[in-house]
Amino acid sequence: MRHQRNLLPIVGLLTLLSLITGCASTPNGDPGDPYEATNRKIYNFNDSIDRNVLQPVARGYVTVAPKPVRSGVTNFFDNVGYINVILNDALQGKPGQFFSDTGRFVVNSTIGLGGLFDPAKEMGLMAHDEDLGQTFGVWGAGEGAYLNIPLAGPSSFRDAPGFLSALLLNPLTYLNPIVTLPLSVVNAVNIRANLLEATNIRDQAALDPYTFVREAYRQQREFRIYDGNPPGDGFDDYLEGDGDSAILRIY
Amino acid sequence: MRTTINFGTLTISLLALCHFAHATPAANDAQAVVEKLHATLLNVMRDADSLSYKGRVQTLNGVLAETFDFTTIGRIVTGNSAEQWNALDDAQRSRFLDVFAQLSAATYASNFDGYSGEVFETLGVEEKRGNVLVKTVIVKSDGDQVTLDYVLRETNGVWQIVNVIASGVSDLSLKRADYTAVIKSEGLDSLIGKLTDKVANYASSGR
Repeated sequence: MRHQRNLLPIVGLLTLLSLITGCASTPNGDPGDPYEATNRKIYNFNDSIDRNVLQPVARGYVTVAPKPVRSGVTNFFDNVGYINVILNDALQGKPGQFFSDTGRFVVNSTIGLGGLFDPAKEMGLMAHDEDLGQTFGVWGAGEGAYLNIPLAGPSSFRDAPGFLSALLLNPLTYLNPIVTLPLSVVNAVNIRANLLEATNIRDQAALDPYTFVREAYRQQREFRIYDGNPPGDGFDDYLEGDGDSAILRIY
Repeated sequence: MRTTINFGTLTISLLALCHFAHATPAANDAQAVVEKLHATLLNVMRDADSLSYKGRVQTLNGVLAETFDFTTIGRIVTGNSAEQWNALDDAQRSRFLDVFAQLSAATYASNFDGYSGEVFETLGVEEKRGNVLVKTVIVKSDGDQVTLDYVLRETNGVWQIVNVIASGVSDLSLKRADYTAVIKSEGLDSLIGKLTDKVANYASSGR
Protein backbone atom coordinates (compact mmCIF):
# COMPACT_ATOMS: atom_id res chain seq x y z
CA MET A 1 0.00 0.00 0.00
CA ARG A 2 1.92 3.00 -1.18
CA HIS A 3 0.68 6.49 -0.67
CA GLN A 4 0.39 8.30 -3.92
CA ARG A 5 0.66 12.01 -3.62
CA ASN A 6 -0.99 14.62 -5.72
CA LEU A 7 -0.64 18.35 -5.91
CA LEU A 8 -3.02 19.07 -3.06
CA PRO A 9 -0.61 18.16 -0.26
CA ILE A 10 1.64 21.05 -1.20
CA VAL A 11 -1.17 23.48 -0.60
CA GLY A 12 -1.86 21.57 2.61
CA LEU A 13 1.72 21.75 3.75
CA LEU A 14 1.83 25.51 3.30
CA THR A 15 -1.46 25.94 5.15
CA LEU A 16 -0.14 23.71 7.88
CA LEU A 17 3.08 25.64 8.35
CA SER A 18 1.10 28.82 8.76
CA LEU A 19 -1.15 27.12 11.31
CA ILE A 20 1.67 25.61 13.34
CA THR A 21 3.35 28.92 13.89
CA GLY A 22 0.29 30.19 15.68
CA CYS A 23 -0.76 27.13 17.62
CA ALA A 24 -0.46 26.36 21.29
CA SER A 25 0.64 23.03 22.68
CA THR A 26 -1.58 20.93 24.93
CA PRO A 27 0.08 20.40 28.32
CA ASN A 28 -1.32 17.03 29.41
CA GLY A 29 -1.64 15.29 26.07
CA ASP A 30 0.49 12.71 24.28
CA PRO A 31 4.14 13.84 24.28
CA GLY A 32 4.48 12.84 20.62
CA ASP A 33 1.54 15.06 19.69
CA PRO A 34 2.30 18.57 20.96
CA TYR A 35 0.03 20.14 18.32
CA GLU A 36 -2.96 18.01 19.24
CA ALA A 37 -5.37 20.94 19.46
CA THR A 38 -4.55 22.09 15.93
CA ASN A 39 -4.26 18.54 14.64
CA ARG A 40 -7.76 17.79 15.89
CA LYS A 41 -9.15 20.81 14.06
CA ILE A 42 -7.47 19.69 10.86
CA TYR A 43 -8.66 16.12 11.45
CA ASN A 44 -12.24 17.34 11.78
CA PHE A 45 -11.88 19.50 8.69
CA ASN A 46 -10.50 16.59 6.66
CA ASP A 47 -13.15 14.28 8.07
CA SER A 48 -16.01 16.55 7.07
CA ILE A 49 -14.68 16.84 3.52
CA ASP A 50 -14.15 13.09 3.47
CA ARG A 51 -17.67 12.26 4.66
CA ASN A 52 -19.41 14.82 2.50
CA VAL A 53 -17.44 14.57 -0.72
CA LEU A 54 -14.62 12.08 -1.04
CA GLN A 55 -16.19 9.04 0.61
CA PRO A 56 -19.49 9.19 -1.32
CA VAL A 57 -17.58 9.64 -4.58
CA ALA A 58 -15.25 6.74 -3.71
CA ARG A 59 -18.25 4.50 -2.93
CA GLY A 60 -19.82 5.46 -6.24
CA TYR A 61 -16.55 4.71 -8.02
CA VAL A 62 -16.38 1.25 -6.42
CA THR A 63 -19.90 0.42 -7.65
CA VAL A 64 -19.22 1.73 -11.15
CA ALA A 65 -15.66 0.49 -11.72
CA PRO A 66 -15.11 -3.26 -11.43
CA LYS A 67 -12.16 -4.60 -9.45
CA PRO A 68 -9.85 -5.17 -12.47
CA VAL A 69 -10.33 -1.56 -13.54
CA ARG A 70 -9.56 -0.29 -10.05
CA SER A 71 -6.51 -2.54 -9.88
CA GLY A 72 -5.33 -1.08 -13.18
CA VAL A 73 -5.77 2.45 -11.82
CA THR A 74 -3.92 1.56 -8.62
CA ASN A 75 -1.13 -0.10 -10.63
CA PHE A 76 -0.80 2.92 -12.91
CA PHE A 77 -0.40 5.47 -10.11
CA ASP A 78 1.85 3.16 -8.08
CA ASN A 79 4.09 2.73 -11.10
CA VAL A 80 4.24 6.40 -12.07
CA GLY A 81 5.25 7.20 -8.49
CA TYR A 82 7.78 4.40 -8.32
CA ILE A 83 10.88 6.53 -9.07
CA ASN A 84 10.45 7.84 -5.52
CA VAL A 85 10.58 4.26 -4.21
CA ILE A 86 13.70 3.49 -6.28
CA LEU A 87 15.51 6.61 -5.06
CA ASN A 88 14.69 5.78 -1.45
CA ASP A 89 15.92 2.19 -1.96
CA ALA A 90 19.25 3.77 -2.86
CA LEU A 91 19.19 6.27 0.01
CA GLN A 92 18.52 3.44 2.45
CA GLY A 93 21.45 1.42 1.10
CA LYS A 94 19.39 -1.48 -0.29
CA PRO A 95 21.17 -2.33 -3.56
CA GLY A 96 19.23 -5.57 -4.15
CA GLN A 97 15.94 -3.80 -3.77
CA PHE A 98 17.19 -0.88 -5.87
CA PHE A 99 17.96 -3.10 -8.87
CA SER A 100 14.83 -5.19 -8.45
CA ASP A 101 12.66 -2.06 -8.23
CA THR A 102 14.39 -0.48 -11.22
CA GLY A 103 13.67 -3.65 -13.20
CA ARG A 104 10.11 -3.60 -11.93
CA PHE A 105 9.61 -0.01 -13.07
CA VAL A 106 11.04 -0.73 -16.55
CA VAL A 107 9.00 -3.92 -17.00
CA ASN A 108 5.71 -2.43 -15.83
CA SER A 109 6.20 0.83 -17.76
CA THR A 110 6.74 -1.10 -21.01
CA ILE A 111 5.26 -4.61 -21.05
CA GLY A 112 2.81 -3.51 -18.37
CA LEU A 113 1.43 -0.84 -20.74
CA GLY A 114 2.48 2.24 -18.84
CA GLY A 115 1.95 0.57 -15.48
CA LEU A 116 -1.68 -0.46 -15.95
CA PHE A 117 -0.67 -4.09 -15.47
CA ASP A 118 1.83 -5.64 -13.11
CA PRO A 119 3.71 -8.31 -15.08
CA ALA A 120 6.81 -7.64 -12.94
CA LYS A 121 5.06 -9.36 -10.04
CA GLU A 122 4.75 -12.58 -12.08
CA MET A 123 8.48 -12.29 -12.79
CA GLY A 124 9.21 -12.18 -9.09
CA LEU A 125 9.93 -8.45 -8.96
CA MET A 126 7.74 -7.69 -5.96
CA ALA A 127 6.55 -4.18 -5.09
CA HIS A 128 8.31 -2.43 -2.22
CA ASP A 129 7.10 0.37 -0.08
CA GLU A 130 9.63 3.11 0.55
CA ASP A 131 9.42 6.87 0.90
CA LEU A 132 11.54 9.70 2.27
CA GLY A 133 10.03 9.52 5.77
CA GLN A 134 11.01 5.84 5.98
CA THR A 135 14.50 6.73 4.76
CA PHE A 136 14.84 9.28 7.56
CA GLY A 137 13.61 6.57 9.94
CA VAL A 138 16.19 4.10 8.62
CA TRP A 139 18.83 6.79 9.10
CA GLY A 140 17.80 6.95 12.75
CA ALA A 141 15.48 9.96 12.83
CA GLY A 142 12.69 9.86 15.39
CA GLU A 143 9.10 10.44 14.33
CA GLY A 144 9.01 14.05 15.45
CA ALA A 145 5.73 15.70 16.27
CA TYR A 146 2.61 14.07 14.85
CA LEU A 147 0.85 16.19 12.24
CA ASN A 148 -2.45 16.22 10.44
CA ILE A 149 -2.14 17.79 7.03
CA PRO A 150 -5.18 19.47 5.48
CA LEU A 151 -6.62 17.35 2.65
CA ALA A 152 -3.88 14.74 3.09
CA GLY A 153 -4.29 13.31 6.58
CA PRO A 154 -1.88 11.92 9.17
CA SER A 155 1.83 12.63 8.95
CA SER A 156 4.72 13.76 11.14
CA PHE A 157 7.69 16.09 11.02
CA ARG A 158 9.77 13.14 9.83
CA ASP A 159 7.27 12.05 7.18
CA ALA A 160 5.87 15.32 5.84
CA PRO A 161 8.88 16.18 3.60
CA GLY A 162 8.15 12.90 1.81
CA PHE A 163 5.11 14.54 0.23
CA LEU A 164 7.45 16.93 -1.56
CA SER A 165 9.93 14.29 -2.74
CA ALA A 166 7.11 12.08 -3.99
CA LEU A 167 5.65 15.01 -5.87
CA LEU A 168 8.95 16.13 -7.41
CA LEU A 169 9.85 12.58 -8.47
CA ASN A 170 6.47 11.93 -10.08
CA PRO A 171 6.57 12.50 -13.86
CA LEU A 172 2.90 13.54 -13.81
CA THR A 173 3.90 16.67 -11.89
CA TYR A 174 5.64 17.97 -15.00
CA LEU A 175 2.78 17.43 -17.43
CA ASN A 176 0.25 20.07 -18.45
CA PRO A 177 -2.25 20.70 -15.61
CA ILE A 178 -5.02 19.86 -18.09
CA VAL A 179 -3.74 16.30 -17.88
CA THR A 180 -2.45 16.33 -14.32
CA LEU A 181 -5.50 17.73 -12.55
CA PRO A 182 -8.08 15.18 -13.73
CA LEU A 183 -5.55 12.41 -13.12
CA SER A 184 -5.00 13.71 -9.59
CA VAL A 185 -8.73 13.55 -8.98
CA VAL A 186 -8.91 9.96 -10.24
CA ASN A 187 -5.89 9.10 -8.08
CA ALA A 188 -7.44 10.67 -4.98
CA VAL A 189 -10.75 8.86 -5.49
CA ASN A 190 -8.99 5.56 -6.15
CA ILE A 191 -6.78 5.93 -3.04
CA ARG A 192 -9.86 6.71 -0.99
CA ALA A 193 -11.64 3.68 -2.42
CA ASN A 194 -8.71 1.47 -1.41
CA LEU A 195 -9.01 2.82 2.13
CA LEU A 196 -12.75 2.22 2.54
CA GLU A 197 -12.23 -1.05 4.38
CA ALA A 198 -9.75 0.53 6.80
CA THR A 199 -12.01 3.48 7.56
CA ASN A 200 -14.96 1.15 8.05
CA ILE A 201 -12.94 -0.56 10.77
CA ARG A 202 -12.10 2.83 12.26
CA ASP A 203 -15.75 3.88 12.25
CA GLN A 204 -16.83 0.64 13.89
CA ALA A 205 -14.07 0.28 16.44
CA ALA A 206 -12.86 3.72 17.46
CA LEU A 207 -14.18 5.57 20.49
CA ASP A 208 -12.06 8.59 19.62
CA PRO A 209 -11.29 8.32 15.89
CA TYR A 210 -8.53 10.94 16.13
CA THR A 211 -6.56 8.92 18.71
CA PHE A 212 -7.29 5.68 16.88
CA VAL A 213 -5.94 7.00 13.58
CA ARG A 214 -2.89 8.54 15.25
CA GLU A 215 -1.89 5.28 16.93
CA ALA A 216 -2.55 3.22 13.81
CA TYR A 217 -0.53 5.67 11.70
CA ARG A 218 2.46 5.64 14.02
CA GLN A 219 2.57 1.88 14.28
CA GLN A 220 2.17 1.29 10.61
CA ARG A 221 4.96 3.74 9.81
CA GLU A 222 7.24 1.93 12.23
CA PHE A 223 6.33 -1.38 10.62
CA ARG A 224 7.13 0.02 7.19
CA ILE A 225 10.44 1.52 8.26
CA TYR A 226 11.47 -2.00 9.28
CA ASP A 227 9.92 -3.45 6.10
CA GLY A 228 7.64 -5.61 8.23
CA ASN A 229 10.65 -7.52 9.57
CA PRO A 230 12.08 -5.63 12.50
CA PRO A 231 15.70 -6.66 13.14
CA GLY A 232 16.83 -8.75 16.09
CA ASP A 233 14.38 -9.53 18.83
CA GLY A 234 14.38 -5.93 20.02
CA PHE A 235 12.89 -7.04 23.28
CA ASP A 236 15.31 -5.32 25.59
CA ASP A 237 13.77 -1.95 24.89
CA TYR A 238 10.35 -3.13 25.89
CA LEU A 239 10.91 -5.17 29.00
CA GLU A 240 10.73 -2.45 31.58
CA GLY A 241 7.93 -2.41 34.13
CA ASP A 242 5.89 -5.57 34.46
CA GLY A 243 6.55 -6.68 30.90
CA ASP A 244 3.39 -5.21 29.38
CA SER A 245 5.41 -3.32 26.82
CA ALA A 246 6.77 -6.58 25.49
CA ILE A 247 3.23 -7.58 24.63
CA LEU A 248 2.20 -4.21 23.33
CA ARG A 249 5.14 -3.85 21.03
CA ILE A 250 6.60 -7.20 20.20
CA TYR A 251 9.14 -5.78 17.77
CA MET B 1 -16.62 -19.81 -3.59
CA ARG B 2 -13.38 -21.71 -3.67
CA THR B 3 -12.81 -24.46 -1.18
CA THR B 4 -9.90 -26.37 -2.69
CA ILE B 5 -6.44 -25.83 -1.28
CA ASN B 6 -3.92 -25.15 -4.02
CA PHE B 7 -0.56 -26.84 -4.31
CA GLY B 8 1.32 -23.73 -3.26
CA THR B 9 -0.52 -23.71 0.03
CA LEU B 10 0.06 -27.42 0.44
CA THR B 11 3.79 -27.02 -0.19
CA ILE B 12 3.99 -24.16 2.28
CA SER B 13 2.09 -26.21 4.85
CA LEU B 14 4.43 -29.18 4.36
CA LEU B 15 7.48 -26.94 4.59
CA ALA B 16 6.00 -25.42 7.70
CA LEU B 17 5.57 -28.90 9.15
CA CYS B 18 9.25 -29.67 8.55
CA HIS B 19 10.22 -26.31 9.96
CA PHE B 20 8.29 -26.80 13.15
CA ALA B 21 9.33 -30.41 13.66
CA HIS B 22 12.06 -29.19 16.00
CA ALA B 23 9.92 -26.55 17.66
CA THR B 24 9.65 -26.50 21.43
CA PRO B 25 6.51 -27.55 23.32
CA ALA B 26 5.76 -23.89 24.11
CA ALA B 27 5.94 -22.93 20.45
CA ASN B 28 3.81 -25.93 19.46
CA ASP B 29 1.17 -25.14 22.08
CA ALA B 30 1.03 -21.48 21.09
CA GLN B 31 0.79 -22.32 17.42
CA ALA B 32 -2.03 -24.78 18.10
CA VAL B 33 -3.98 -22.06 19.93
CA VAL B 34 -3.71 -19.64 17.00
CA GLU B 35 -4.61 -22.34 14.50
CA LYS B 36 -7.64 -23.31 16.54
CA LEU B 37 -8.81 -19.69 16.38
CA HIS B 38 -8.16 -19.61 12.62
CA ALA B 39 -10.04 -22.86 12.08
CA THR B 40 -13.04 -21.42 13.89
CA LEU B 41 -12.82 -18.18 11.91
CA LEU B 42 -12.79 -20.18 8.66
CA ASN B 43 -15.85 -22.15 9.77
CA VAL B 44 -17.63 -18.96 10.74
CA MET B 45 -16.77 -17.42 7.37
CA ARG B 46 -17.89 -20.47 5.39
CA ASP B 47 -21.15 -20.83 7.31
CA ALA B 48 -21.65 -17.07 7.68
CA ASP B 49 -25.08 -16.99 6.08
CA SER B 50 -26.57 -20.05 7.75
CA LEU B 51 -25.21 -19.04 11.16
CA SER B 52 -26.22 -15.37 10.75
CA TYR B 53 -24.67 -12.71 12.97
CA LYS B 54 -26.10 -14.18 16.17
CA GLY B 55 -24.87 -17.68 15.43
CA ARG B 56 -21.40 -16.40 14.56
CA VAL B 57 -21.21 -14.52 17.86
CA GLN B 58 -22.24 -17.67 19.75
CA THR B 59 -19.68 -19.84 17.98
CA LEU B 60 -16.96 -17.25 18.53
CA ASN B 61 -17.73 -16.58 22.21
CA GLY B 62 -16.58 -20.04 23.20
CA VAL B 63 -13.38 -20.16 21.18
CA LEU B 64 -12.39 -16.59 22.06
CA ALA B 65 -12.77 -17.28 25.79
CA GLU B 66 -10.51 -20.26 25.30
CA THR B 67 -7.85 -18.73 23.06
CA PHE B 68 -7.62 -15.16 24.44
CA ASP B 69 -6.32 -14.06 27.84
CA PHE B 70 -9.01 -11.41 28.33
CA THR B 71 -7.93 -10.65 31.89
CA THR B 72 -4.43 -9.58 30.83
CA ILE B 73 -5.77 -7.81 27.75
CA GLY B 74 -8.44 -6.02 29.80
CA ARG B 75 -5.91 -4.86 32.36
CA ILE B 76 -3.53 -3.48 29.72
CA VAL B 77 -6.10 -1.74 27.50
CA THR B 78 -7.43 0.08 30.55
CA GLY B 79 -3.88 1.27 31.25
CA ASN B 80 -3.58 -0.52 34.61
CA SER B 81 -0.58 -2.13 36.27
CA ALA B 82 -1.28 -5.42 38.07
CA GLU B 83 -1.64 -3.59 41.41
CA GLN B 84 -4.00 -0.94 40.04
CA TRP B 85 -6.05 -3.62 38.32
CA ASN B 86 -6.41 -5.64 41.51
CA ALA B 87 -7.38 -2.52 43.40
CA LEU B 88 -10.35 -1.91 41.09
CA ASP B 89 -13.85 -2.60 42.31
CA ASP B 90 -14.65 -6.27 41.58
CA ALA B 91 -18.04 -5.55 40.03
CA GLN B 92 -16.67 -2.79 37.81
CA ARG B 93 -13.78 -4.98 36.68
CA SER B 94 -16.02 -7.87 35.76
CA ARG B 95 -18.49 -5.57 33.98
CA PHE B 96 -15.61 -4.27 31.89
CA LEU B 97 -14.27 -7.76 31.10
CA ASP B 98 -17.76 -8.93 30.22
CA VAL B 99 -18.45 -6.14 27.72
CA PHE B 100 -14.91 -6.40 26.34
CA ALA B 101 -15.36 -10.11 25.57
CA GLN B 102 -18.73 -9.35 23.95
CA LEU B 103 -17.13 -6.64 21.85
CA SER B 104 -14.37 -8.98 20.68
CA ALA B 105 -16.89 -11.59 19.52
CA ALA B 106 -19.04 -8.88 17.91
CA THR B 107 -16.04 -7.45 16.03
CA TYR B 108 -15.00 -10.85 14.66
CA ALA B 109 -18.60 -11.80 13.81
CA SER B 110 -19.08 -8.55 11.95
CA ASN B 111 -15.80 -8.62 10.02
CA PHE B 112 -15.70 -12.35 9.21
CA ASP B 113 -19.13 -12.42 7.60
CA GLY B 114 -18.48 -14.31 4.38
CA TYR B 115 -16.05 -16.52 2.55
CA SER B 116 -14.29 -15.88 -0.75
CA GLY B 117 -11.39 -18.28 -0.82
CA GLU B 118 -9.27 -16.91 2.03
CA VAL B 119 -6.59 -19.17 3.46
CA PHE B 120 -4.79 -18.79 6.80
CA GLU B 121 -1.11 -19.74 6.81
CA THR B 122 1.28 -19.96 9.73
CA LEU B 123 4.67 -18.60 8.66
CA GLY B 124 6.72 -19.06 11.79
CA VAL B 125 6.84 -19.21 15.56
CA GLU B 126 9.39 -17.37 17.71
CA GLU B 127 9.93 -17.50 21.42
CA LYS B 128 10.50 -14.08 22.82
CA ARG B 129 11.57 -14.28 26.44
CA GLY B 130 8.58 -15.95 27.92
CA ASN B 131 6.13 -14.81 25.24
CA VAL B 132 5.61 -16.56 21.93
CA LEU B 133 5.09 -14.74 18.64
CA VAL B 134 3.10 -16.69 16.01
CA LYS B 135 3.42 -15.11 12.57
CA THR B 136 0.59 -15.76 10.14
CA VAL B 137 -1.00 -14.36 6.99
CA ILE B 138 -4.46 -14.36 5.52
CA VAL B 139 -4.08 -14.99 1.81
CA LYS B 140 -7.02 -13.75 -0.22
CA SER B 141 -8.09 -15.47 -3.42
CA ASP B 142 -6.50 -12.70 -5.51
CA GLY B 143 -3.15 -13.32 -3.78
CA ASP B 144 -3.29 -10.24 -1.55
CA GLN B 145 -1.94 -10.93 1.91
CA VAL B 146 -2.65 -9.45 5.31
CA THR B 147 -0.11 -10.24 8.01
CA LEU B 148 -1.48 -11.23 11.41
CA ASP B 149 1.03 -11.72 14.21
CA TYR B 150 -0.15 -13.10 17.53
CA VAL B 151 1.58 -12.65 20.89
CA LEU B 152 0.83 -15.43 23.37
CA ARG B 153 1.59 -15.67 27.05
CA GLU B 154 1.41 -18.66 29.35
CA THR B 155 -0.61 -18.70 32.55
CA ASN B 156 -0.64 -21.88 34.65
CA GLY B 157 0.48 -23.98 31.72
CA VAL B 158 -2.12 -22.58 29.32
CA TRP B 159 -1.06 -20.48 26.32
CA GLN B 160 -3.42 -17.69 25.34
CA ILE B 161 -3.37 -14.76 22.93
CA VAL B 162 -2.64 -11.38 24.51
CA ASN B 163 -2.16 -9.28 21.37
CA VAL B 164 -2.94 -9.35 17.66
CA ILE B 165 -0.77 -7.26 15.34
CA ALA B 166 -2.46 -6.76 11.97
CA SER B 167 -0.21 -5.31 9.24
CA GLY B 168 2.06 -3.94 11.95
CA VAL B 169 -0.73 -2.33 13.95
CA SER B 170 -0.94 -3.66 17.50
CA ASP B 171 -4.56 -4.08 18.54
CA LEU B 172 -3.61 -3.80 22.20
CA SER B 173 -1.75 -0.48 21.77
CA LEU B 174 -4.54 0.92 19.64
CA LYS B 175 -7.20 0.00 22.18
CA ARG B 176 -5.08 1.17 25.10
CA ALA B 177 -4.63 4.62 23.52
CA ASP B 178 -8.31 4.85 22.65
CA TYR B 179 -9.65 3.50 25.96
CA THR B 180 -7.31 5.28 28.36
CA ALA B 181 -8.21 8.61 26.72
CA VAL B 182 -11.86 7.96 27.65
CA ILE B 183 -11.02 6.70 31.14
CA LYS B 184 -8.90 9.79 31.80
CA SER B 185 -11.56 12.25 30.78
CA GLU B 186 -14.77 10.43 31.71
CA GLY B 187 -13.91 7.39 33.84
CA LEU B 188 -14.17 3.62 33.50
CA ASP B 189 -17.97 3.53 33.78
CA SER B 190 -18.28 5.83 30.80
CA LEU B 191 -15.92 3.57 28.85
CA ILE B 192 -18.04 0.54 29.74
CA GLY B 193 -21.11 2.44 28.51
CA LYS B 194 -19.44 3.34 25.21
CA LEU B 195 -18.29 -0.24 24.62
CA THR B 196 -21.80 -1.48 25.38
CA ASP B 197 -23.09 0.89 22.69
CA LYS B 198 -20.50 -0.48 20.25
CA VAL B 199 -21.68 -4.04 20.88
CA ALA B 200 -25.27 -2.90 20.24
CA ASN B 201 -24.19 -1.18 17.01
CA TYR B 202 -22.55 -4.34 15.72
CA ALA B 203 -25.64 -6.35 16.64
CA SER B 204 -28.03 -3.97 14.89
CA SER B 205 -25.95 -3.79 11.70
CA GLY B 206 -24.89 -7.46 11.78
CA ARG B 207 -26.51 -9.74 9.24
